[in-house]
Amino acid sequence: MNNRIGVFICHCGVNISTTVDVEEVTEFASKQPNVVVARNYKFMCSEPGQAMIQKDIGENHLDAVVVAACSPQMHELTFRNACEEGGINRYLFQMSNIREHCSWIHDKKTAATQKAEALVNAAIRRVAWHEPLEPTFSEVNPATLIVGAGIAGIQAALEIAESGNPVYLVEKESTIGGKMAKFDKTFPTLDCAACILTPKMVSISHRKNIHLMTMAHVEKVDGFIGNFKVTVRKKARYVNEKCTSCNDCVDVCPVKVPHYFDEYHSERTAIHKAFPQAVPNTYVIDKQEKPPCIEACPIRQEAAGYVALIRERRFKEAAELIRLRNPLPVVCGRVCYHPCETECNRDYVEKPIAIQYLKRFALDWAREQGESIEPPKIERRAEKVAVIGSGPAGLTCAHDLAAKGYDVAVFEKLSELGGMLRVGIPAYRLPRHLLKEELDYLKKLGITFKMNAEFGKKITINRLKEEGYQAIFLAAGAHAGVTLDILGEGSEGVISGVDYLRRVNLGIESHTGRNVAVIGGGNTAMDAARTALREGAEKVTILYRRTRAEMPAAPHEVDDAEEEGIRIHYLIAPTAIARGPDGKLDVTCINIELGEPDASGRRRPIPIKGSEHVLEFDMVIPAISQNPDPKLFSNGGDQLKKSRWGTIEVDEESLKTNIDGVFSGGDVVLGPSTVIASMGAGRRAAESIDKCINGQPLENFQTHMPKERIARGEDFRPHSYAPMFKDIPKSDRVGMRKLPAHARVKGYDEVELGFSEEEAVREASRCLNCGVCVECLACVKTCQPEAIDHRMQNELVDIEVGQILLATGYDLFDASHAAQFGYGKLDNVLSSLEFERMLSSTGPTGGKLLCKNGKEPRAIGIIHCIGSRDENYHKYCSRVCCMYALKFAHLVKDRTDAEVYQFYIDMRAYGKGFEEFYNRVLMEAATVIRGKVAEVVPSGPTLKEQGHLVIRCEDTLVSKFREIPVDMVVLCNAIEPTADSEDIRRLFSISRSPDGFYLERHPKLDPTATMTDGIYIAGCCQGPKDIPDTVSQAAGAAARMLAIIAKGKVELDPIRAEIQEELCSGCRICNSLCPYFAIDFDAEKKISIINTALCKGCGTCVAACPAAAITGKGFTNNQIFAEIEGMLV
Amino acid sequence: MSGFEPKILAFLCNWCSYSGADLAGVSRLKMPPNVRPIRVMCSGRVDPAFVLKAFASGADGVLIGGCHPGDCHYAEGNYKALRRALFLQRMLELQGVDPRRLRIEWISASEADRYAGVVADMTEIVRALGPLNLDRWEKVRIRKR
Repeated sequence: MNNRIGVFICHCGVNISTTVDVEEVTEFASKQPNVVVARNYKFMCSEPGQAMIQKDIGENHLDAVVVAACSPQMHELTFRNACEEGGINRYLFQMSNIREHCSWIHDKKTAATQKAEALVNAAIRRVAWHEPLEPTFSEVNPATLIVGAGIAGIQAALEIAESGNPVYLVEKESTIGGKMAKFDKTFPTLDCAACILTPKMVSISHRKNIHLMTMAHVEKVDGFIGNFKVTVRKKARYVNEKCTSCNDCVDVCPVKVPHYFDEYHSERTAIHKAFPQAVPNTYVIDKQEKPPCIEACPIRQEAAGYVALIRERRFKEAAELIRLRNPLPVVCGRVCYHPCETECNRDYVEKPIAIQYLKRFALDWAREQGESIEPPKIERRAEKVAVIGSGPAGLTCAHDLAAKGYDVAVFEKLSELGGMLRVGIPAYRLPRHLLKEELDYLKKLGITFKMNAEFGKKITINRLKEEGYQAIFLAAGAHAGVTLDILGEGSEGVISGVDYLRRVNLGIESHTGRNVAVIGGGNTAMDAARTALREGAEKVTILYRRTRAEMPAAPHEVDDAEEEGIRIHYLIAPTAIARGPDGKLDVTCINIELGEPDASGRRRPIPIKGSEHVLEFDMVIPAISQNPDPKLFSNGGDQLKKSRWGTIEVDEESLKTNIDGVFSGGDVVLGPSTVIASMGAGRRAAESIDKCINGQPLENFQTHMPKERIARGEDFRPHSYAPMFKDIPKSDRVGMRKLPAHARVKGYDEVELGFSEEEAVREASRCLNCGVCVECLACVKTCQPEAIDHRMQNELVDIEVGQILLATGYDLFDASHAAQFGYGKLDNVLSSLEFERMLSSTGPTGGKLLCKNGKEPRAIGIIHCIGSRDENYHKYCSRVCCMYALKFAHLVKDRTDAEVYQFYIDMRAYGKGFEEFYNRVLMEAATVIRGKVAEVVPSGPTLKEQGHLVIRCEDTLVSKFREIPVDMVVLCNAIEPTADSEDIRRLFSISRSPDGFYLERHPKLDPTATMTDGIYIAGCCQGPKDIPDTVSQAAGAAARMLAIIAKGKVELDPIRAEIQEELCSGCRICNSLCPYFAIDFDAEKKISIINTALCKGCGTCVAACPAAAITGKGFTNNQIFAEIEGMLV
Repeated sequence: MSGFEPKILAFLCNWCSYSGADLAGVSRLKMPPNVRPIRVMCSGRVDPAFVLKAFASGADGVLIGGCHPGDCHYAEGNYKALRRALFLQRMLELQGVDPRRLRIEWISASEADRYAGVVADMTEIVRALGPLNLDRWEKVRIRKR
């Protein structure tokens, strides 16, 4: 216990003494136990005040000191130092806050004095329990993190870099420069913003010790002053540093969106540079979300890309792009079930883009123009891979592997290549010569095809391995029809859909009845029915047990079938087939009703008892489903693991079977699925096989599995610059012309006739450019230095720094919130930044002042204080607006003959050269009107008045209401805290002042530091300020940080928790409470131990310890108990 | 009871509520003089014993001020404080003490208005509740440690 306490009470000029009777408090203090001396003084923090304390420490042998003055956050450090210099430990000191917490907030002197006595008393009681403490020191990492690379961040980075210490400069945009880079001229000197900023920007890129990270943001901050650990998320730029800024890519990019840098008043391409002098001087691709059509495609075909190219009439490039990743583009253009269209965002507006038709168009166009697309040159490899089956899965796998250089052999059981494409899909949907075209291209790639080579006879897994094939892809398809499992199914005249189609398609002699029934509702059923019609059947009837809504066949296929005269009976199922003596087939059918939805989500068919009836046919084609050929598992594949559905079992990710080196995919794994799903499997298998042969683990696959569909509401937008779905004008989907039904059934001519160029362009123009970049890859082709890589990924970078400066800038007040000014509704009402861009020589008009109609304005109104000095929005003054408004007036006068009216509340010309500038602009005949504008309205209805604006306001100097006609209105929008400032504040554990800007440690004496040690602020994130103030503050912050770096270590408060081992019962309650994991359990001693290096001194564990075994140094229980008692005496 | 001036003790966390109270001072916001602040590093440091000790020593009300949820300088100390305060309120009620005498509030460094409002409001509430009559607690001794 300290029992020689000195109490020193400060008047703080009159700040304290006006409301607190300082003499009385001194008198009171002197009577308290342990108090040896009590004094008061005008300014205790001054030199004489401190000397008084030090003198008393010496003369009166004080062992503890209380100072009652301002907040400890203001002067605790001052007095601790004074005590130390006076000869006692710096922690044998307690501060009592009788200014902020007493004199400033109370009026009545008696009550305030009484409270001050309580506060002082509490401090006296507390300090008696103080113990000497020694501060701990921590090494300082000399690296600094600066967040935000506007002029503040740039200035600070350069200052620190000058000292040779490393700087990490993190900027969320693609270029540094911040808002200043958008300005034309700066007030009051009128020097060009670019001319003074760009040299600094260039220096940033030249300094080796500045690590610039653009398109990045800080995601996580750990640690404390001297030792912060920061995680930065860097967004992929898709263009690397090989970029020479030649601009070739911009010429070929088909996507145009409004340019953010010009405040959306100009257009830019998806690949772009923010402005010509951007740093880094590297282009960037704006890729927001991936276009859903691309994401939905199992082979990741760049659908949005070729649609955009078709829109630009670049048909050849579109065809080349399709070919690039799609081994069967002609097939897909005709028979794909197009998941891309299912996912298309345009579906939320009216109808999806006809992506499949456009694909077909591009390839048809290329063929008609005689544009042959040659396969790329490939470096051959020695490794051999065998592919069993030449269907879509096998061909895709073979294509991908051949493109990688492998020696690929495809083994086909039948005499014709193509699997289901050849023997399942009828020629009227996929003309044979087109399929041949695909196969010819694949042959050119170097794939060997072996026909009549059935797996299971001479070709077995072991045999292939012996022949040196390093991997096998089994894609034998599902060519065995599933039986109906009813009586009489084996009768003559009953043939499964797949068998029937295979026979017809291979030209094998086969009899088609005159009155044919097809059983089933899938695409095979439709194909079989329509083929039967073409093979001479007079009447074809489809029997389906559910309704049209549940039919799995593609809707347009069903329409086509009906158009051709095929009848469909719904809610009916056969129960038996009997062949009569006349060769007729009597099919007993039963009517069905639909029950609750089953596992597939479709309603369960329930037979209606007693509804049996007999229908008569002479041929029945069951086409309900297909399975892999069961022989597959006995011949050659007898070790393959079979699923209970009779398909091959594989690992879902890698498509690996149970046998090493053998992969499988397509219908043989999936059961009857789609062309594109099988192709997706082939692609994944190729990647697996490539990894397998190269000895890589089977993980981190690049080929993708499409995700589930995510519903998008009306408020969704395709990308950040597009209107919302509900605001997009509707436009009809272009349909495809077809052969008339009567002409179709005569033969196998293709039913769908394709798009004309005009139709294709019209349809492609409906594309919304989802995600901005549509991956047409035109930029990749044109880029000579090969700097573009669409596969770049976002990355997380961990950095370690000693100190952090936040220079995150400001946002401009959105004037559309203040509807009376017409912003966003009326043409020619501009925000200040829009006007800056218009003035800039690199802006949308090249520096010309133009109204929307292209004419020069004859009168311009500049309205001050939009959103600032306004009770409804921001109460504060934005500080810079008066001056930039005058700058605008000057520039308008300089460049046009327009009249300029300034509407101001008060003219604030507070800075160096500002008043002179104000006078100069006044001399230039700008009219200034004092009064807050009431509203901006369109001018009257007569033709002469149309297209103009009227500003209504009260001229308060003459007390008159005025209406002033103008052509253009420029709003001086308030500077406001950035939208993400709350998130940033939390991330860095700092505070915001009531206006929303970051809170400085002290408004006058410490405007660059924050309450969190090691975190500094500069520029407009701390409050509105102009460029010189910003630069000064940034340089000041840099100096502060450099001082710490130079010192090399920081003093850390010894406020830490400490466990008294003998008291700890080992209950472990504290272990889980510590947010810093500083408390561990010592299993041997059976007690908890605190790692002081990790402890931050919050005291949560101290409060929780039931045994009071934990002491919070600097805030011990005894100290606080004493304080409580003292406060209540 | 007329003329009764309650004594209220406020445990304010260093980073948010204490700074908020400082800002109230800097902004010269006027408030009743009944609330006497004690600075702690974190509201999580407030030992339930502090609250009981305050009542036992003659406080009529106790205020705990912490950072807003998610804003705690020490990540989650304010949640611990809340948990304890809610528990204490139940305990106090069982002891016949109106739970409104203990109050926990989230006050950020910028919320000077809020601090002044809470001080005024709490003073009124506790004034209306009257002095805390803790005869039964007289013999209660909270062990110093």
